[in-house]
Amino acid sequence: MQPDMRLDRLKDINSRRVLDEAARRRRLRKALEALESDNFQDDPHADLKMSKRAPKFEESMDDKMPKKKRKSKSDVYKFRFKKNFASLLEEEHNTEEPNYFSAQVPPSQFPERHFCAVCGSPSNYKCVPCGARYCCVRCLGTHQDTRCLKWTA
Amino acid sequence: MAVLVMDNGAYSAKVGYSTAVSPKIIPNCITKARNVRTRIFIGDQIEDCKDLSGLFYILPSQKGYLVNWEVEHQIWDHVFGKECMKVDFDNTGLIFTEPYFNFASIQESLNEIFFEEYGFQYIYRTNPAFLSQYKHQKSLSEKHLCSLVVDSGYSFSHIVPYHNGKKIKSATKRTNVGGKILTNHLKEIISYRQLMVMDETYVINQMKEDVCYVSTQFQKDMDIARKKGADNTVTCDYVLPDYTHIKRGYAKTREESTGKAKGSEQIIRMNNERFAVPEILFHPSDVGIQEMGISEAISYVVKLAPEEMQPHLLRNIVLTGGNCMLPGFKDRVYQDVRSLTPADYEVNVTQPNNPITFSWEGGAALAQDPQFKKMVVTKAEFEEHGQEICEEKFDV
Repeated sequence: MQPDMRLDRLKDINSRRVLDEAARRRRLRKALEALESDNFQDDPHADLKMSKRAPKFEESMDDKMPKKKRKSKSDVYKFRFKKNFASLLEEEHNTEEPNYFSAQVPPSQFPERHFCAVCGSPSNYKCVPCGARYCCVRCLGTHQDTRCLKWTA
Repeated sequence: MAVLVMDNGAYSAKVGYSTAVSPKIIPNCITKARNVRTRIFIGDQIEDCKDLSGLFYILPSQKGYLVNWEVEHQIWDHVFGKECMKVDFDNTGLIFTEPYFNFASIQESLNEIFFEEYGFQYIYRTNPAFLSQYKHQKSLSEKHLCSLVVDSGYSFSHIVPYHNGKKIKSATKRTNVGGKILTNHLKEIISYRQLMVMDETYVINQMKEDVCYVSTQFQKDMDIARKKGADNTVTCDYVLPDYTHIKRGYAKTREESTGKAKGSEQIIRMNNERFAVPEILFHPSDVGIQEMGISEAISYVVKLAPEEMQPHLLRNIVLTGGNCMLPGFKDRVYQDVRSLTPADYEVNVTQPNNPITFSWEGGAALAQDPQFKKMVVTKAEFEEHGQEICEEKFDV
């Protein structure tokens, strides 16, 4: 029995990596961006060839082809009023307080609460490799079987 | 001259003439259905669609601010057109709401579009909180000078203190948690624990509104949720719609909630998610957002206001916005704010009957006000003076 167990443990140490602080912060940022997203799936009509008359609604504001014909109403909107949120924020830096940035509430005074990623009840422990929270050993088992380090960030 | 009141939110637009009793609530987005490839649905046309699974949303607002003009223009065309409000622009004025601290370029574009593109006779742009506190003042028996409006919506929540009808701009604060984050978080945890629903924003949003509530005793409810069997009063089964036999999801009663599905229905077993998800409004740090929750922000804002105003603000807290419809929201806000303020201050939290349409109703009432005509900017004034007159007159 002894040699088998040692090989197993060696394999474990080599295959199981531990995420460092930077990787965990990257994961958290990705999760927060996902919380702000409008859609998880892609446009279901993306491959549809619409007739030339119907106006195209693209989710992003980049043009796929440059428009060469005369300026129609929708073109005016695309070119004149085209600003995405990031550039609006940049402009806002120049305005004086109180502005959008000063209106942001500061971080909370109370300590963070953590919840088990598997069942949702309050958790006290973190998974060693990936940092996900769990509440009991059973939830840890579920987490390691299904989600631990299953997709890299 | 007719006055059209439009409360333009990131999730829904509440629009109606000032003479109407209640507004029409139209989703402020364009949706694409998975199985209907011939057309898209603008605003409330989504009611024509039979299969609401896997709906793809195109929202003109990002983080609460109007960014995508093309999409919004199409929605407004539909709303002002003959299918909806049938607006006669030569004889109509407009009351329009926009978010707090709206960017200058958006404000200028709004002026241009409403005056030059559509041709309203006069417009009045304001924040939803202004209309809410106007309506609140009208309903009070005695005159209160100050009120604190909490506007908790789809994209964010704002706490706005008002004094004599003017907002205290330096004390207006924003928390970036709203209904969108709640729905997305609920989708994620259900997708992990039970069934893959990441595509089903519409269905899960309905489920959130049906089944979630705000708890006033979080720890105790968590303990109850951990029990098994009949002791667990929190658990609830929710039947998902399949759009062939079941047109709309519904929650089963406690007796029927066994966790086993009858026939071909799909069930989601809701446990501590019911109250843990709305908890994010009060503790955004639960999901990793380093901000104060709503009740903490209320107490923070009150401390920022001038000292003489503080007791008056605490006495007049008004809750508006879609998130306030969650059961138990008002009691939770009262409990939290009460525990954070000294005992000699009086705390009063009021919630109108319909928090979503409350600011629209304020707009309708404002249109009847004798002072209203002086507050608007007419088309002639705009053509003469340009953007500056709008900057002066509107307090956004």
